[in-house]
Amino acid sequence: MIQNYLKIAIRNLLRNKVFSAINIVGLALGIATCLVIMLFVYDELSYDRFNEKTDRIFRVVFKASINDGKINEANVMPPTAQVLKNDYPEVLAATRLRTSGSPEIIYQNKKFKEHDFASVDANFFDVFTLPLLKGDAKTALREPNTAVITQDFAKKYFGDENPIGKVLFIKSWNENYKVTGLIDKVPHNSHFHFDIFGSMAGVKDAQAASWMTSGYFTYLVLPEDFDYKVLEAKLPQVIKKYMGPQIQTAMGMSLSQFLQKGNQLGLFLQPLTSIHFDEGFTGTLEPSGNIQYVYIFGAIAVFMLLIACINFMNLSTAGASKRAKEVGVRKVLGSIKQDLISQFLFESILLSVVALLLSLMLVQLSLPVFNDLAEKDLQLDFLKNPLLLIAFLVFGLLVGVLAGSYPAFFLSSFNPVEVLKGKFKLAGKSISLRSGLVVFQFFISIALIIGTTVVYQQIKFIQSKDLGYAKDQLLIMRNTWSLGKNEEVFRQQILQDPRVLSVTSAGYLPAGPSDSNNSMGYPDSDESQVMRTLEYKIDEQYIPTMGMKVIAGRNFSKDFATDSTAMIINETAAKAFGWGKNAVGHTITRLKNNDGLKVTYSIIGVVKDFHFKSLHENITPLLMVSEKTYGLTIKVKGKDVEGLLASLKNQWQKFNVEEPFSYSFMDELFEKTYQSEQKISVILSIFSGLTIFVACLGLFGLATFTAEQRTKEIGVRKVLGASVSQIVTLLSKEFLKLVLIACGFAFPIGYWLMNKWLQDFAYRIEISAWIFVLAGILALFIALLTISYQAIKAALANPVTSLRTE
Amino acid sequence: MLELKNIFRWYNSGVNRAFVLRDVSLNIEQGEFVSIMGPSGSGKSTLLHILGMMDEPNEGEYSFLGENVLKIKEKQRAELYKKHIGFVFQAYHLIDELTVYENIETPLLYHGIGSSERKSMVADILDRFNIVGKKDLFPNQLSGGQQQLVGIARAIITKPNLILADEPTGNLNSKQGQEIMELFKTLNDEGVTIIQVTHSEKNATYGSRVIELLDGRIER
Ligand SMILES: Nc1ncnc2c1ncn2[C@@H]1O[C@H](COP(=O)(O)OP(=O)(O)O)[C@@H](O)[C@H]1O
Ligand SMILES: [Mg+2]
Repeated sequence: MIQNYLKIAIRNLLRNKVFSAINIVGLALGIATCLVIMLFVYDELSYDRFNEKTDRIFRVVFKASINDGKINEANVMPPTAQVLKNDYPEVLAATRLRTSGSPEIIYQNKKFKEHDFASVDANFFDVFTLPLLKGDAKTALREPNTAVITQDFAKKYFGDENPIGKVLFIKSWNENYKVTGLIDKVPHNSHFHFDIFGSMAGVKDAQAASWMTSGYFTYLVLPEDFDYKVLEAKLPQVIKKYMGPQIQTAMGMSLSQFLQKGNQLGLFLQPLTSIHFDEGFTGTLEPSGNIQYVYIFGAIAVFMLLIACINFMNLSTAGASKRAKEVGVRKVLGSIKQDLISQFLFESILLSVVALLLSLMLVQLSLPVFNDLAEKDLQLDFLKNPLLLIAFLVFGLLVGVLAGSYPAFFLSSFNPVEVLKGKFKLAGKSISLRSGLVVFQFFISIALIIGTTVVYQQIKFIQSKDLGYAKDQLLIMRNTWSLGKNEEVFRQQILQDPRVLSVTSAGYLPAGPSDSNNSMGYPDSDESQVMRTLEYKIDEQYIPTMGMKVIAGRNFSKDFATDSTAMIINETAAKAFGWGKNAVGHTITRLKNNDGLKVTYSIIGVVKDFHFKSLHENITPLLMVSEKTYGLTIKVKGKDVEGLLASLKNQWQKFNVEEPFSYSFMDELFEKTYQSEQKISVILSIFSGLTIFVACLGLFGLATFTAEQRTKEIGVRKVLGASVSQIVTLLSKEFLKLVLIACGFAFPIGYWLMNKWLQDFAYRIEISAWIFVLAGILALFIALLTISYQAIKAALANPVTSLRTE
Repeated sequence: MLELKNIFRWYNSGVNRAFVLRDVSLNIEQGEFVSIMGPSGSGKSTLLHILGMMDEPNEGEYSFLGENVLKIKEKQRAELYKKHIGFVFQAYHLIDELTVYENIETPLLYHGIGSSERKSMVADILDRFNIVGKKDLFPNQLSGGQQQLVGIARAIITKPNLILADEPTGNLNSKQGQEIMELFKTLNDEGVTIIQVTHSEKNATYGSRVIELLDGRIER
């Protein structure tokens, strides 16, 4: 029986080559897209789940709201881990991680600047599942100046030699670290990645009892099935007991006074598995994933597959009249409905298997491109992951059943009498269902066009937004700290170059990597108004070089000796402190860390607001003081950047420092901030293009059927004198009507969704009406193009031949 | 063999009932060769469809081999087709995607007959109908008469004891039609009951009995 089915299926496929191709290509594209996205989604959702204690590990985070300034920090104070472990028996283990900058590390003649150095507590490898290939996880980091390294790291320094016992010299701190353990590597789906984990035991700052500093990523292991909210509810006591006294010293008021002013602060717990998607924390180890994109892509995957399946259903039911006779005959020959259902299901599964194989090829071809775009390392490797193969086969089967079930029930329910009498006509119900499916496909397509356009617009908007500073022609050299006192000499040399307009020395930059400093301060001696704000340490060249504008008062100047206690604030700060336009002359008193030292600054100027955070966020108050920091920013004049760089490099090398000459451009750094949006926009347009393509494949098939079915009608009309264009209109009209109906659904839903997406940006475009007009026209145009081929072909056909075929 | 009692069949057209069969009662014995005649639209096909259980009357009783077959389940109906009934159509109704051989073989598949037995049964029939040379051709490569031969071969391969034929020679020239009729005669002589719809008086003479339908009523 199967053989019989197979024969019919294959002959049918070959006889209707166009439809078979449409079905297979459409399904393959749908499955391929779905697979790629599923791999992506699976990867995103798998973050940190490689840990055996995944569900029991929680990160301690700090949240505060001080004078309406919100602080959400992913790392906490040095004593937190110890205190929680000691005070609460449910904390089975507590471990800390601290980043340690980018030291230069030397082994014999090998020397590299490392970016991924972390200091961790001795029990770190007990909490996180990073098995030690060599060394003992329990003892490796007990002693000071010991380190666990990754295999890549070991290879880099020691080649094939056994790394255990080797001593690395950390030049930047002038310390030796002995290698005591080796791990493979940190899995890519971890929220942290380091190549070298140094022992925290020797780190002095880590033993500090300060509750006014932070920087320690603190992880707790709780008992199985323990509700972490129970522990979280006890954490205010920790603040009260340990942080309270230090607040008193630092701010001169008790914790309860501080809280009574409407301030809030506290420690909270964050499940390990939610770290990857928890946005809104500062000081994180790595940028977080965006759950929104997981949803968006997941939805696209489902839609894409649905559209491909709908094509299949549409074409099968449209072609039903061709199969109707077969159904009638088979029934009369003794076939029961179930036999027929299994026959048609068999056919669709066969088709989906072919599509599945094709999609495998597509996935293999497209994964590298997608990986590049999404910055992922996704792989479709059945050997490594046999489960994937099973999932894959089940998936193919499911698609076959999903796509084939409706046609199977539809076809198998034909009444043989009607069919064989030749009176068979497709019931109105199936036609309206088919129209509904076309509407659905175009609804998705149009919504995607709208989405893609809005994303594109928003990105353009960001790029052309007045940032409050001029990002073009700014050359940045961040590692001039290595010049030490010679930085100023270098600066003066650069200034001599005719291609240079001005040079500022400051480590604080509004885009890209920047120094960062938050400080507590209060205005006009009113301690109750204490506010935590971002602070820039700059020189008098900074504001003109960056192209920022002083809108009140003046810039820092060498002519005023008092400028060491002068301050420039941004507009937002002036507003926040309630001074508005009259900020100049007021004072701000800054708390210098936790030792109680206070310095009062007088405000000499207000700078026009500029964007120093991504445009996702609003501009916050910013204070600028005149203080020496390292890093040069050069405003370049003219086009000869290449020549300037060459001469800068030449001069740099004369200083004979070990740091290599390196530079970046502000506009590029700025672009990078929005890289993820940009990539998303590319991925989104590719996916929408594919979706629209598959939808059009289906439309093309349907148009072909319609033209075929109406051959006789067209012939009669032509004989009666209808023109080609009248017939093309006749055939296209219905489909275009469907596209218009789809617009009716897609517009409001597209608007609602994209508006929601835009909410994520503090600075965003208004969705304008022309986007909808454009999407509608584009969809109509594409649909028309698809249909017209068949319509024109049918209209041009010789009526005599078409009449004779009936 | 089968008995119809007071069969009514109508279609609702607006508020009125359009009667196709009115009070048809009929008794057909095993081994008869019955021709149903009547003008176009008189309900011949409808009657045949009801006899073949492809259609159901709105009123009346129908017993087949002593069993009341109205309102039986589709599965049982398929069972009856399989065991007892072969259909022959005016438009042949071969499956276009299958070869002659495969078309004839199809009912055997539904009978669950093993492959070697199928082979010999199909070979026998091809032989008997003299179409061995055509077995690998598709229906559209055959003349109408050849297609109808295949249709009949397909109908009798399961050795039914009732053949229902709706204008089996309607699309054939008279010589081809005569051959088909000869074939029916032979089958009838072998004991197969045959009920055919025909417009031709000459074809009707092959049968043992003629039923005349006029406006849904049996006239004779
Ligand atoms: N589905 C239907 N709906 C309404 N009338 C029908 C339907 N099928 C058949 N008829 C009517 O039933 C009558 C008998 O049809 P039929 O049995 O095919 O006649 P015959 O085979 O004798 O030419 C015809 O008048 C036809 O119009
Ligand atoms: Mg008829």
